[in-house]
Amino acid sequence: MNSRSKPRVAILAGVGYLVAFVFVAPYLEMALTALKPDRELTRSPTTFLPKHWEFGNFVNVWKAAPIWQNMQVSLIVAGVATLIALVVSLPAAYYTARNRFRGRGAFLLLVLVTQMFAPTALVIGIYREMVALNLTDTLLALILVNAAFNLPFCVWILHGYFSSIPKELEEAAYLDGAGKVTALTRVTLPLSLPGLVTAVIYTFIGAWNEYVVALTITSSPDRQPLTVAIPGFVTSYQAHWQFLFATSLIAIVPVVVLFVFIERYLIGGLTAGGVK
Amino acid sequence: MKRHLMGVIAAGLTVTLGMTGCSKGSSSGGGGDSKTIKFVAAIYDDKTKSLWDSLIKTFEAQNKGYKVNLEMVDWTQMDAKVKTYVQTKQTPDILNYNAFADFARDGLLFPTSDVLSSQASSDILPSFIDGDKYKGTPYGMPLLSSVRLFFYNKDVFKKAGISTPPKTWDDVQADAQKIKTKVKGVFPLGLPLGAEESQAEFFMWAMNNGGGYVDQSGNWALDSQANVDTMNYLKGLSKGGLTQPNPETTDRKDAFNEFAQGKIGMLNGAVFMPAGFINKVNPKLPFGIAQLPTKTGGTPSTLGVQDFLVAFKNDGGKKKDAVSKFLNFFYQTNNVANFQKEEGFLPVTKSAGDVIASAVPYDKPFIDALPNAKFYPTGNAAWGPLANTVKEKLGTAITASDPKSVLTQLQQTAQKNG
Amino acid sequence: MQNTIEARGAGATAPAPPSRASALRRLGRALAPLPWIGPAVILIAAVVLWPVIEMARTSLMRISSSGATIGTRGTGNYHDLFDEPDLVSVLLRTVVWVVGVVLVTIVVSLALGQLLNARFPGRRVVRWAVIVPWAASVLMTALTWKWMLNYYYGVVNKILQGVGVIDHPVNWLSNPTQALIWMMWVAVFVSLPFSSFVILAGLQTIPQDVYEAATVDGAGRARTYFRITLPLLRPSLLVAAIINVINVFNSFPIIYAMTGGGPGDKTDTSTTFMYKLAFSGSGDVGESAAMAVVNFALILILVLAYLRVVGWRGETQR
Repeated sequence: MNSRSKPRVAILAGVGYLVAFVFVAPYLEMALTALKPDRELTRSPTTFLPKHWEFGNFVNVWKAAPIWQNMQVSLIVAGVATLIALVVSLPAAYYTARNRFRGRGAFLLLVLVTQMFAPTALVIGIYREMVALNLTDTLLALILVNAAFNLPFCVWILHGYFSSIPKELEEAAYLDGAGKVTALTRVTLPLSLPGLVTAVIYTFIGAWNEYVVALTITSSPDRQPLTVAIPGFVTSYQAHWQFLFATSLIAIVPVVVLFVFIERYLIGGLTAGGVK
Repeated sequence: MKRHLMGVIAAGLTVTLGMTGCSKGSSSGGGGDSKTIKFVAAIYDDKTKSLWDSLIKTFEAQNKGYKVNLEMVDWTQMDAKVKTYVQTKQTPDILNYNAFADFARDGLLFPTSDVLSSQASSDILPSFIDGDKYKGTPYGMPLLSSVRLFFYNKDVFKKAGISTPPKTWDDVQADAQKIKTKVKGVFPLGLPLGAEESQAEFFMWAMNNGGGYVDQSGNWALDSQANVDTMNYLKGLSKGGLTQPNPETTDRKDAFNEFAQGKIGMLNGAVFMPAGFINKVNPKLPFGIAQLPTKTGGTPSTLGVQDFLVAFKNDGGKKKDAVSKFLNFFYQTNNVANFQKEEGFLPVTKSAGDVIASAVPYDKPFIDALPNAKFYPTGNAAWGPLANTVKEKLGTAITASDPKSVLTQLQQTAQKNG
Repeated sequence: MQNTIEARGAGATAPAPPSRASALRRLGRALAPLPWIGPAVILIAAVVLWPVIEMARTSLMRISSSGATIGTRGTGNYHDLFDEPDLVSVLLRTVVWVVGVVLVTIVVSLALGQLLNARFPGRRVVRWAVIVPWAASVLMTALTWKWMLNYYYGVVNKILQGVGVIDHPVNWLSNPTQALIWMMWVAVFVSLPFSSFVILAGLQTIPQDVYEAATVDGAGRARTYFRITLPLLRPSLLVAAIINVINVFNSFPIIYAMTGGGPGDKTDTSTTFMYKLAFSGSGDVGESAAMAVVNFALILILVLAYLRVVGWRGETQR
């Protein structure tokens, strides 16, 4: 660690940039394809750069399919599911971290076990449940599924984080006359910000990416999230790869920007879950 | 404070749940009044939706109070969607699909006579009627059809020194060999046996060898000797490098696209090939159209495909009147003819046939081939599930050491389903 | 994590209520946690546990190919499932898929975590780049790779031909073995961000003085890594591995988008196989539910076995 010589830093940086390129390259190709006109897509052998830069693809894609609606669905589902998961997991995680009570062990075991369940494995059951509840083809069904399946992770990570914050800090707040909830909101929550951010991001990304359940229980185009809608650009009778990738980019870029802003918290948050 | 926080959370949840909960609109098949119907249509190309939109607009203007909620589904998602509809009891009132018999078997459909006027149903071309029936009763209404013919690239043939398109399988092999040696950068024969439509490609070769899905008496015969010979022949072509690589994973759209770019010498094409593929990338492609080659040079037959409209008996049939009104509206000569013409498919009714034959000369050879066309056994309830299995598995016969084993397995699937 | 097990102990030794306490007060105390954990329990029970039961029930029913439920069927669906000629190869492939992807992911993440923790100019940008596949939907990433690997129009063939690795285009996704390797790479690719960030987070919790002590003892770089860093990373590795096992086992979009499990079902894992049983192929929802139950049992075994191998108990009962 202390031998930070110049060549070593240069090699590290070189490797680092190479790694960065490998990780970004597929999305670069995505962008280049999204900028090719229809006729250049199926030219073989292919070219790296478009011969004609068709920026119009990013305009026309909005007309080619109701992607604005699909994007709203994705946002509503991911946003509301994250909110629910957080609102439900916060008190549970906090209470179990601070109190010993009968059934605490059972509850944490339930969380641990259900964390191993993924919606993909249960899709048949989920879909038959939604039939029984008459919730097929609703956003509510998607929201509930995404909230519930990400809940265990949220509880787990927040529980770990709350446990790592000394009780004494809250007790100090009590001495100042604060109630239990005030102590939580004023003292513990701000200190747990990285954990909260991690839980939020994990849930949001999970819901944003969810594919199988949405594919199975939604059927109306205006109630399908982007993940279900975009493969529709490539069918037996036509293949609009440029629109598929343009839509993908439109969906990816905001999330990447979001990640860039919270990267610091993320590292802190991921620490708490495993290490104390 | 505690109360306050909980209140805010509760309010937030109520708003969000309410917002999303009520977004379950009226378009679900079960709900709504008896004059509003849900119609699920398949996407054939970019124009399909606007064609239906304008038809529906006219219909709604002519029939005050009636409403058609259109939902477009592309073919790649269709099978899964349809299964979900039935399973979740959200079946649309009218569905545009390629199978119907298992719905009829399970009592989910109106017979055609309940929803289509006798005038309209007597206009349906005789070639299609057999495929519309389940146990003798018509349930499927043909929406459009396509006939497949053999397409070849005239330039490639000229360069390879081939004067006439192949008539027998030996010709195919010999011509392919000529193309392989004389024309660089061109795959001699396009053979799409990938999951997209291998059931069609296989059937076209098998039927011209006396094979097919069922025998004379209508029993499943997937592992017949004729079929085994067919797969062995195709496997041989592929092994000899006379086809594009990996027929078992080549989808039809890729093969058609390569043909359109002049990179495939010949293949079993379809009526919609120019409109869907060639005109887009290479409108000047010099292609010729011929009958499908047969094993020994006998009378060639070809594959006819009809896609259907079916009417689901939802909510005890209370929407029968609305469904019937819309179907009778659609099957008026001009509506149905215009739809098929715009989509580049073939007519299914006599009156529309007359309109199209005179309007679109390109379609003539296809319409002429219709009487000799063979159709899938769509009237058999096991066909739907079998077709899906064939699509996925059949291509593997090309790479299997013994193609017969794949056909035997498919035969077992067919028999299991009835 | 250690809290969960510690908690189990705590539950068992809950202090006995004072004998004078009234039943009402005892009830009050027993119910006190409910407002806090009740909603979580309800949500999990209603949306996670209900489908488990529903799935098991469905696996015993006869469901028509059109989707209509016809009646009960006993173990018929399981018989059909075990009669599937490809079931064994699908299950074996699933094991290869999970073990391969998770192992490679963890090993590469260890290196990546180290790199992202080292100091060099532009490190933040590299960290951002590594996050990108996490932020992008897995389905979209899989579709890009499918496009890049396209036989006719893909850049992978063009690049490999350009640098002379291959002399004519290869139809990567058609050959089951090649397709599986590429899809495993994509699975690794999308799993790396999360895993390497968990490891990076773990690295940052290791106090600097531990290393200083090692330097004083004259330990070499490799020795320091294996004797100090790796053991201290154990909890992070545990998190990364277990989350990966679950995600990779249940991974659906990669295979579904890139090969659809084809040709035939030669690149299916048990997850895509299950989906195809219900929604394509012969369309048997009952048999698919039976496959789901088998899958479910598999993942339980997998995770329990994993916990045993890494000595979860020893790790958590400190």
